[in-house]
Amino acid sequence: MDHTTIEERHVVDRYVMGALPPEEAESFEEHYLSCPQCLDRLALAESMQRGFKRAAGQDVARLAATRQLALVAWLSRLSRSRQAAALLLVLLAVAILPGALALWQLGERDRELAATRRALDHEREQSAAGAHTAAELEELRSALDASRRDLAQEQQARAQAAEQLAHTAGQLAQVRVPQVNVPLLYLDVVRGGGSPDDAPRLHQPPAASWAFLSLQLGSSSAPSYRAILRDAEGREIWRGTGLLPSGEIDALSLNLSLPGSLLAPGDYTLITEGVGGQKAPPRRFTFRVLPPR
Amino acid sequence: MSTEAAPDPAEAEIAADLARRIAAGNASAEEELVQRYSRGLLYLLRRLGASPDLADDLHQETFRIVLERLRRKGLDDPAGLGGFLRGTARNLMTAERRKTARRRTDGDDAALEQVVNPSPGQLSSVLLDEEAGIVRKLIGEMPTDRDRQLLLRFYVAEEDKESICSDLGLESLHFNRVLFRARQRFKELLERFEKRQALSRGS
Repeated sequence: MDHTTIEERHVVDRYVMGALPPEEAESFEEHYLSCPQCLDRLALAESMQRGFKRAAGQDVARLAATRQLALVAWLSRLSRSRQAAALLLVLLAVAILPGALALWQLGERDRELAATRRALDHEREQSAAGAHTAAELEELRSALDASRRDLAQEQQARAQAAEQLAHTAGQLAQVRVPQVNVPLLYLDVVRGGGSPDDAPRLHQPPAASWAFLSLQLGSSSAPSYRAILRDAEGREIWRGTGLLPSGEIDALSLNLSLPGSLLAPGDYTLITEGVGGQKAPPRRFTFRVLPPR
Repeated sequence: MSTEAAPDPAEAEIAADLARRIAAGNASAEEELVQRYSRGLLYLLRRLGASPDLADDLHQETFRIVLERLRRKGLDDPAGLGGFLRGTARNLMTAERRKTARRRTDGDDAALEQVVNPSPGQLSSVLLDEEAGIVRKLIGEMPTDRDRQLLLRFYVAEEDKESICSDLGLESLHFNRVLFRARQRFKELLERFEKRQALSRGS
């Protein structure tokens, strides 16, 4: 580093101010170690800087002192009553300022408290809405459970119906095919109080099978008949109309078939009655169904 | 401008010669070394923050280390003697700071106050007041308000040259000239004061 550079770039002053970049400061330090001229310059620069800083500091202090003096002078120029008023004003300011500050802080706290309360209310409203929604949800869940139960019942009923339908279809299919070993019972009219033990008998046919009855009428003047089947207790088991007599004129008969499911073991009475034509007394036929073979 | 740490050619030649002579066992070369670098080294140590006593101690320690090194094995780059002196002094100062930090774990407020704001002695106080007085005189002698502002902004506000010139509409040469004249005038007034001081002490 040469002196021209040092002069042009004010290196000495900037070094004293601490404003030189590190590389430049290093270079200058190596230079001034053996340079009395730069060391003189450094001493002078430090002295100048101290002088400027001290003068500036003194000026600032003097200015502050001048202002204080001006205040004192102004106060001294006032009358005693005005001095007292000024003092009172200062005292009031000193007394009121902390209070005003405290009031302001209280106001701030109030505002914060109000904001917090509003937020809390809002939160509560949201919580209530949440609870309402939860109740609705519970109701929906109950309805869903009920629907599920109904659906299960429905499905069960459908399954039963399907089962019944399959059973009926099976029975129907069974009916449609030719059947063998079908019991056939010829019944004559029972006159007076005939004993049930003397009645014709048959073993209960299977539920899907049939029993054929041929009711011997003899001669008949009625074009058709109705028939009522009762059990031993007199309960009506079956009733049918439109039965047409068949056979020779003096050996007419009514033929009908009864499903096995209708005929539980026991004593039965079948009463026929002519419909239309000359009125004739009802005819009574009895038979006994024995347990299946 | 070149700001690299390489020494001036003339300085490099002198330093290399000193290093070689000391390595050769020349005692007068050792005296020359101390004489040549003593003041700068002391200033550097003070500048690094050493107290006057510590600066004296480290100053001696720096020379002891450097001379021993030169006597024993010399320097790889004898021309860099100034840099070696500077580096040794800085390292010693750094080590001293670490040593002090290890020794003192509690804060000594009184001592700290002394370091931060040392109260000037009676003589120093007089000098400081005189320096401030010279500055006022100097400012008062400035021909224009702009030059006064220039000095205050440079020395008090420590603004850089470029911003001052830009704000005040000055050319670089004018700035240099004002600073140069102010420095010369300050030096002149300070020397006058020192002469007066010397005379009053003599009488």
